[in-house]
Formats: sequence, structure tokens, C-alpha cells
Amino acid sequence: MGVTCVCQVPVAEGKSVQQTVDQLHKKLEQLGAVKQGSFFVDCETYHATGNASGQPSKLLYVMHNSETPLSCMALFEGGPYLTADANFDVLMVKLKSHFQNAKGHKVESRGARYRYCDFLVKVGTVTMSSSARGISVEVEYCACVVPGDCWNLMKEFMQSFLGSNVPEIPSVFTSKPEGLFAPADCMDTMSQYLELFSKVRKQQVLPGSSVR
Amino acid sequence: MPLRIDVTCAPALTVGEIMADVMNVGVNLEAFSQAINAIQALRSSVTRVFDSLKDGMKNKETLEGREKAFIAEFQDNLQSVNRDLTELERLSNLVGRPSESHPLHNSGLLSLDPVQDKTPLYSQLLQAYKWSNKLQYHAGLASSLLNQQSLKRSANQIGASAKRRPKVQPSTLVLPIQYVDDVISRIGRMFPDMSIELFRPNGTSAVLLVTLGKVLKAIVVMRSLFIDRTIVRGYHENVHSEDGKLDIWSKSNYQVFQKVTDHATTALLHYQLPQMPDVVVRSFMTWLRSYIKLFQTPCQRCGKFLQDGLPPTWRDFRTLEAFHDTCRQ
Repeated sequence: MGVTCVCQVPVAEGKSVQQTVDQLHKKLEQLGAVKQGSFFVDCETYHATGNASGQPSKLLYVMHNSETPLSCMALFEGGPYLTADANFDVLMVKLKSHFQNAKGHKVESRGARYRYCDFLVKVGTVTMSSSARGISVEVEYCACVVPGDCWNLMKEFMQSFLGSNVPEIPSVFTSKPEGLFAPADCMDTMSQYLELFSKVRKQQVLPGSSVR
Repeated sequence: MPLRIDVTCAPALTVGEIMADVMNVGVNLEAFSQAINAIQALRSSVTRVFDSLKDGMKNKETLEGREKAFIAEFQDNLQSVNRDLTELERLSNLVGRPSESHPLHNSGLLSLDPVQDKTPLYSQLLQAYKWSNKLQYHAGLASSLLNQQSLKRSANQIGASAKRRPKVQPSTLVLPIQYVDDVISRIGRMFPDMSIELFRPNGTSAVLLVTLGKVLKAIVVMRSLFIDRTIVRGYHENVHSEDGKLDIWSKSNYQVFQKVTDHATTALLHYQLPQMPDVVVRSFMTWLRSYIKLFQTPCQRCGKFLQDGLPPTWRDFRTLEAFHDTCRQ
């Protein structure tokens, strides 16, 4: 696993989500990227119940990534994070009395996976309760493991197909001490997706058409 | 360096010039035509001999008379053959020998072939001759050029043919193990951001595992203090095969490190100094260390990070500046 950056791409003006995604695909193909299958990332939200102290309970997110099909990631807001076998989902059902699944909060991103040299690009449509809410773009530079080293290089690559929508260096990397070394699991990626998903969720609240 | 042989140069000698050459050098044309006449005379006198032999004795009154007349005629004929033959021998001395100094020797006489139009043997021969001359000339030039920047990597190879193998191994190939270890550990101490581990998986030859920062790992296969082979992989790639041994064969999964491996092999051939192998290893390691900023340095020519999806993978041998493979020329 290399260095990964996940960002949200705004829907082009006067275009639908699908049209913008198609436009991105076209740009990538013009660049010389080759389509290699598809991907998905999903996220479910759990509330902790039975909290005796008056503190607001932390939310628990359980996520899956097609890149690691045998694993299941569980993330508390702000940590700690945990990687488990895929049957962690079954365990969560058994823990119903402690963690309640927030139905209708399931967010997922699905789309095509492109390879260009040592880059892996995944353009996904973010959907929440089966309606498209936005576009996620994940760019991974597989050859390097230090985000600080290759960030400028990745930025240049993203500029070539995202134009002005290039994000800043993800906060997961800047907040890390000593050498900015990305660990070999996909936790950094997942926390970036989590950040993106919660942004998408908040967007939903604004127009007053709450799903809750 | 590609060797280009120009075959379209103007020919050194034209066909006409060579033909004129054959005619003039050492051939007396006058004597030649006389000699041809003499040959004809000789042939006809020889024919007369056999004609008279075939006809046999002519009808005369007495048998004696018949025999006498026959012998006299036969002697006359033989004498005329003799005379013609002497004449031909005299003329043939005048004709003289065709010049031996002609570059094409006897094949030069092909130009006298009257059916030139049907079988252009002679002009083809000249063409081939010119080609082979030119080839020899260019090959000579190329070999002297290549000798200046020889890729031979040990001192003893110069002039050592397959027949006369040197009996003693060159001294640089039988350095004591302790000395090699010392040189490597000294180089390791020179570069704090580069860790060098030394293994001897098979006998005395050392294999180095060089870890450069958090950028790359290089496996360097040594033969004594000569670097034999090198392969570069990503920092997070496996350097051991499944049975736990160092994997010195399989190439990196990433295109950028495959490119760096190619360049490192070029560097092996570039840095060479058969008398001082330790200097070579040190120069190579200094060069390899410049990859510590593989992903951080833009190309010194185009100023960009990426070209065809690859960062600047080339490092100049002297200045250690970073270039894209296509920007370095």
C-alpha cells in the first residue's frame, strides 16, 4: 500500500453526478489510464447505548473496502481504530444491546478503478439511502510510503485530471509525528473516506430534507 | 553508441576507370591482334596436317612415288605448323602478362565480358568490393572508438584471448573477505541515511541489502569488490523470497523502481576503475544515495515531477542532478 489521498469533487455546474463522473473517466482515459475493474467502500454508523455518564456517546463506524475484502474496519470518531476479520459484522449484531445500528445512515461509494503507471485512481459515486450525493476520487501512489515525500508529485498528477479541484494534503498525514510514515494497512484511507462521508452527510442536513 | 555505416557514398573508382585500367596496363594491343592471327594460322595449318592424313596417299603410278609424295606433303605441313607455333610463341612474349597489381586480380578481366548487359557480374563485383572496403574502414573506426570507452571491468581482460587464459586470477578478484567487510562497513558509516547489510548466502561472494531512507531497497550482488548485479525495489516490497533467502532475481512491481534498476545497471558499467575497486563501490553508493529524494525532486530540465506517470528517475553520474529519462539527453 502506498500513499492515498481521498477527496470530494464538486459536481460540475449544470451537470448531473453521472455526467461529471463520465467526464472524469474520459479525462483519465485520455491521460492513458487503464480501467481495472471496480471498487466499493461502505460505512455503517452505530450509536453506543446505555451510556451511564451524561457525556455524549461516541459514534462507531464500521467500514468495508473492496481492496481488503477479508477485513472489516471499525473506527471510533477520533480513534481508536481497529481492523478485524470480515465476520466482525456478525459480532456487531450480537452486541446489539451496546451498539445500535443507525438505519438510513449507511453511506457507500462505488465506481471504476483505473491504473496509470504506479498510480491507482478510483472514481466513485457517493450514495446515501440509494440516492447519489457526490463524487469521491481516491488517488493512490503505490510506489511511495511517505506522504510528505510524494505529495507534490501526487498533486501534479491530480491537477492533470482534476484541474483546480486538487485538495490540500489530508489532515491524517499532517497530524502524524515522525516521518509521516503511512502504515501498511488501509486505516489512513478509511479515515479519509470517513471524513468525506460525514461531510456528505452534513450537506444533506442543510437543505432541510433530513433523512433521519 | 549506434554504429552507422554509410553505404551510399560516392564510389572511389568508377566502372569505366577500372575497365580502361585493364586495357592499358601491360597489354600490347598490336601484338595482341597479331597473336590472334597467329593462332588462326596455327589452327589452319594443324587442320591441314590432319586433312592430309585423312586423305591418305594420292594415286601415283608407282607405290614408291606415292609414299614419297605423301611423306613430302606431311613434312611440309608439319613444318608450317612448327613455323606458326614459333611465330605465336614470339608474339605471346610481346603481348605481355596482364597486370598482377590490379586490385581485382583476374576478376578484373570480367570487365572484358561482352555480354555485360545480360549478366552484370562485373559491376556487382565492384559494388561488393566497395562495400567490403568501406565496412572494414568503418569497423576499424568503431573499434578504436569503443576501445577508448571500454566496458571491460577487470584489468586482465585486455589482450587475454580465450586460448591464453591468465594462470593467476587477477588480484582484485581474490581479496580477503575481511578486507571486503571493512570497505563495506566504512562506506556504510559514511552515509547515515543508508543502511547496508552484508550477507554471504553462497560461499565468499557478498550480497548487500541497501536500505535507503524510506524510499527504496537495493540488492547488490558482489563478486569480491566488483558489483556484479543490482536490483532496486520499493521500500515496502519484499526482498526475501518465500524460503527466507534474499530474492536477487524478481523485479519490482512498480514501474518507477524497474526504471531505477535499469539506471543502476547503467551506473555499474559507468563507474569502473579496475585498479581501485573500493573507489568504484563508494562512487556507486554515493550515486545510489541521491535517490533519497526520488519522489521529492522535480526534473532539472522540465521542472515537472511527472512524465508519463514516472518521477525523474535518472541521476546524472557527475552532478547527481535529477532528470526524467527522456529529459536527460
